[in-house]
Amino acid sequence: MWDSRTGFAQRTEGGPRGQDAWFFSLRILGGRYAFEAALVTEVVRLGPLTRLPAAPSFLPGVFTHRGEVLPVLDIGQLVGQGSIPVRASTRAAIVHCGPWKVAVVSEAVEGLVAIPRRAVEPPPAESSGVAEFLAGVAQDRKGAVAILDMPRLVEAARARAVPAGSATP
Amino acid sequence: MSDEAAQLILFQVATSVFATAVRDVVRIGSVREIGADELVLDSALGRPYSRERGIVVTLDGAERTLVVDRVLGTRSVPAHAVQPLPAFAAACIRSGALAGLVLVDDVPMPLVDIPNLVRERVDRAAPPPP
Repeated sequence: MWDSRTGFAQRTEGGPRGQDAWFFSLRILGGRYAFEAALVTEVVRLGPLTRLPAAPSFLPGVFTHRGEVLPVLDIGQLVGQGSIPVRASTRAAIVHCGPWKVAVVSEAVEGLVAIPRRAVEPPPAESSGVAEFLAGVAQDRKGAVAILDMPRLVEAARARAVPAGSATP
Repeated sequence: MSDEAAQLILFQVATSVFATAVRDVVRIGSVREIGADELVLDSALGRPYSRERGIVVTLDGAERTLVVDRVLGTRSVPAHAVQPLPAFAAACIRSGALAGLVLVDDVPMPLVDIPNLVRERVDRAAPPPP
């Protein structure tokens, strides 16, 4: 169920506790970032990326996974905080946001986390960088975690795509 | 269901390898005798290291030559190996120069529409209308 007040899904049954919301947590830009768990279909190890000409920097390439070509989304580049390095060990979460299916590259995958709804606080008023896409902030036993509004982030990435020809290296 | 083969030319610009449809290409050859105004050196594919080989296409009746580092040869692939860009990538790349992807040995390779690539390059180089 989508909660318009907090901006993320809340699982009211089947979770470890009825008042918990499920998130999927990644380590990005040296911090913990989580988003609605239901958006993630699987976690994959990134193969070699094929760079696409005229692609924006936040789209470092595509790769094949089980015969399907998937685009990679680099949140670090999107928010102007540098690229997340892609190595043989790099893993990505495959995320469905409406019509878009992307592999969100990460420094490390933490996996599912359950966070009590009451522990989620509004994001800081700051609206630059990754803060622009925060739905909330919380603390769990591993420390602070920032809750991303992933559908808004993916849609913003699409909207920020560069006009024709301006991505010439 | 028919699955006709797609005829492709594979070529390299800097360190990247691309494919293009054979039907779009007039010829391949040396660029030494070609005037600078007919050459396309810098494009969305990058800038080639050398200035030796070119892929010639026609644009509005005139020949234009995309300078490449190497022409790797031709390749015939089944039509199903030619795929559109993933939806998110297609929405983010507003260039008509990228016609899709071709899976070669299960690795996606950009399929370049060279006439469109050249057109976008020429349009960018043109002075703005008064």
